[in-house]
Amino acid sequence: MRSKLNFLINISLKKKIKSKWFLIANIVIGLLIIGLINLDSIITSFGGDFDTNTKIYITDETRVIAPSFEEALNIYVTNLYGTEESNYEIEITDKSSDEIIETIKNEENNSILIEIFYDENNEINAKLISLSTLDTYDYQIISGALNTTTSMYTLSSIGLTEEQYNKILHGVEIDRVILDESVKTEDENMEMIVTTVFPVIILPFFMLTIFLIQFIGTEVNDEKSTKSMEIIISNVSPKTHFASKIIANNLFIFMQVVLMVTYAMIGLGVRKLIGGDNIINGIGTEVSNILSTLANGVLGDKLVPLLIFTIILMILTFVAYSLIAGILASMTTNAEDYQQVQGPIVIILLVGYYLSMIAGMFEGSIFIKVLSFFPLISAILSPSLLVMGQIGVVEVIISTIIMIITNYLLIKYGIRIYKVGILNYSSTGMWKKMFKSLRNK
Amino acid sequence: MLKVENVTKYYGDFKAVDKLSFTVNKGEIFGLLGVNGAGKTTTFRMIMGLLDKTEGNITLDGKEINYSVTDDIGFLTEERSLLTKLTVKEQAIYFGALKGMSDDLIIERLDKLLKKFGIEEYKNKKIKELSKGNQQKIQFITAILNEPKLLILDEPFAGLDPFNIELFKEEILNLSKKGSIIIFSSHRMDHVELFCKKLVVLVNGKSVLSGNIKEIKESYMKKNIIIKGNIDIEKLKKISGVEEVIENSLQYEVKISNKDVVDSVFKYISKCENITKFVVEEPSLNEIFISKVGESYEK
Repeated sequence: MRSKLNFLINISLKKKIKSKWFLIANIVIGLLIIGLINLDSIITSFGGDFDTNTKIYITDETRVIAPSFEEALNIYVTNLYGTEESNYEIEITDKSSDEIIETIKNEENNSILIEIFYDENNEINAKLISLSTLDTYDYQIISGALNTTTSMYTLSSIGLTEEQYNKILHGVEIDRVILDESVKTEDENMEMIVTTVFPVIILPFFMLTIFLIQFIGTEVNDEKSTKSMEIIISNVSPKTHFASKIIANNLFIFMQVVLMVTYAMIGLGVRKLIGGDNIINGIGTEVSNILSTLANGVLGDKLVPLLIFTIILMILTFVAYSLIAGILASMTTNAEDYQQVQGPIVIILLVGYYLSMIAGMFEGSIFIKVLSFFPLISAILSPSLLVMGQIGVVEVIISTIIMIITNYLLIKYGIRIYKVGILNYSSTGMWKKMFKSLRNK
Repeated sequence: MLKVENVTKYYGDFKAVDKLSFTVNKGEIFGLLGVNGAGKTTTFRMIMGLLDKTEGNITLDGKEINYSVTDDIGFLTEERSLLTKLTVKEQAIYFGALKGMSDDLIIERLDKLLKKFGIEEYKNKKIKELSKGNQQKIQFITAILNEPKLLILDEPFAGLDPFNIELFKEEILNLSKKGSIIIFSSHRMDHVELFCKKLVVLVNGKSVLSGNIKEIKESYMKKNIIIKGNIDIEKLKKISGVEEVIENSLQYEVKISNKDVVDSVFKYISKCENITKFVVEEPSLNEIFISKVGESYEK
C-alpha cells in the first residue's frame, strides 16, 4: 500500500509542476537570468558601438603641448579606470579649425577638437569643441591631461634640471594599510554586497521565500475553501497533511533553485558561445577573492564548516517560513484573509532584506549583529555580515541552533493550531482560537 | 456495528451534543435528523474523528474510530467538497488514494459508477465545468468508491432532481444489501421514512426522538383518518377524542387522540351518505416531530 504522505507530497508537487504558471514563470525566470548574464551582448546587438574610440583632433599653436598630451592622457585613463587601454585616438593636425569642425559635424562619433593657443597675455590656453555635450569623465581626463602637460612645459621652460622637474611633478602615492584584515571601507563593503552577495544569495533567497509563503497559503486555502479539507482530514491526520505541505513546497523550492542554477549555467554557456567577455573568469576571481579573504582572515580552516552551516541555516529558515505560512493558512478561510495575515511575516522578511543590503553602511553595528541571530532574519542577514567578516563560524552555528529550536517549537505548537484551524471556517476570534489551541495536546 | 455511547461535545461553554447514544447494525440505514444547528454535523465529525468528543465513546465493530479504520469509511459532506480545478478522474484518484486504494482499482470502480449514473463522458472534464447535480453525483461516487463499511451521508439529496434521487436511493440500498452501515441526514422527512429503519432526532444537541421508525409510529397514540363523502364537520368535531378536522378540496383529514376513537368515528360515518373512502393512517414523522418539539421539522 502506498504511503499517504508520499501520495500527498507527489500530488502537491505534480499540481505545481503541471501548472501553466510554473511553465510561464520558468520561461520568464530563465530568460531573465540568461539575459542578465548576457546583458552587454544584448544591448550591443540592438545597435551602437560602445567600444568606439573617441577621436581627439589637436591644433597646437605652441607646438610643444600636443606631443606630450597623449602620454598624460594615458596616465589619467590608467588612474581612473585601472586599465592601460585608452579609448582615445589622437590626431595632431595643421588643418584649420573650420575644416576640422566640418569634419566633426559629418562624423557619427562624438569627436573632439582641442585648440591650444597663446592668449593675449601670452599664456597657454585651450578650447574644447564637440558636436554635443561631453561625458564628465572625458572632460575630467582631457582637462587634467592638458593641465599636466602645460605645467610640465612651463616647468621645463624655466630651466629646471630633470631631477628638480621630476621632484616637483612627483605626486604623493598613498598606500593604504589596514591592520584589521576583516575591516574594509564602507564603499568596499557595499560594493561587495551589491555585486556578489545580493544577486547570488539575498535576492534569490528573498524571492523564493515569498514564493514559498504564497504557495503554501494558496494550496491550504484552496483545499479549505472548497471544503475538500473535510474529506482529506477524515483520511489523513492533520500532522500528515501539514508535513506533506511543508515537504512538498520546500522540495519545489529546492527544485526551483536547481533550475535557476541551470539557467545561470546556460547563460554562461551562451556567453561563451557568442564570444562575450569572459564573465566566468570574472566571477571566479571575485568569488575566489572573497573566499581567500575569508579563509585568510578570521575564519581560517573553518571556511568549509561555515559554508555548510550557512546552507543549513538557509534550509532551516525556508522550513520555518513554510511552517508559519501553513499555520496561518490553516487559520484563515479564504485567500483574502490569508493575504492579510501573511503581511507581518513578509514585513519581517523585508526587514532582513533591507538590513542585509545596508549592513555595509553600519559596519560594526551591535544592533545589526544581534539581529543576525534573530530567527527568520538570520539566514538573509548572515551572508552579508559573513562576507564583511563581521561574523564567523561561531555566530552562524548559534544562529543555526536558534533556528533549530524555533523550528522545533513551530512544529510542536504549530500542529496544535493546524489541527484546530484546518477545519475552522469562521474568521471571527481567529487569534483567540489560535492561542486557545496551543493548550491542546 | 457502529456504537455511539453517551457522546457529549462542548464548544467552550456551549453544549453542541448532549449525551447522544445510538447503534447501527451492519446493513442498516440510520437517519440522523435535526434542524440547522441541532448537532448533526458535529456528530458526523465526531464519528469521522475530525472532532474530539468531550465525553462518551464511538466504536466501529468494537474498535475506536481512528486513522487505522478510516480507509473503510465513506463520507459525503453537506457542502460540496471537491477540488474544482481537478478533473473527475484526478479527483477520484486523489480521494481514492487517501483511502489506500490503488489507481487501477479506483479507475475500475469509477468507470462502473460513472456508467451507472450516466455521466461517463465527464470522466476527463474539470469538476468546475459540471452542473451542481453532476458535481453532487461525483461527490457521492468518490464517497462510495472504496465500498465502505460505514457510509456517512450529510444531506445526500441536496440539489438533486427526483430522477437522480432515485439513482442515489438505488445505490444506497445496494450498499446496504452488501452490508454497509449507512447513516444519513436530511431535511426531508419523507426521505428518512423511505430509507431508514431507525432514527434519532436532535434538538439543540439532545435526542428528542429515537429508535425504530415503525415502533415510534406505533407507539405514537395519535392517528389520522382520511374520509371522503358527505359529512357534518361540526358533529364530527363533537366526538370525544377528535382533535381536529381539516377540510381539503376532496376529502377530510380527521386527527384523533388515540386509536380507540376510530370506532366512534366509524359509527358516525356509517350513518352518513356517499362515503367512498375511510382510511386510518399512521401519523407522518413530521407530525410526531411537531408534537415532540412544538414546531415543524420541515420549515
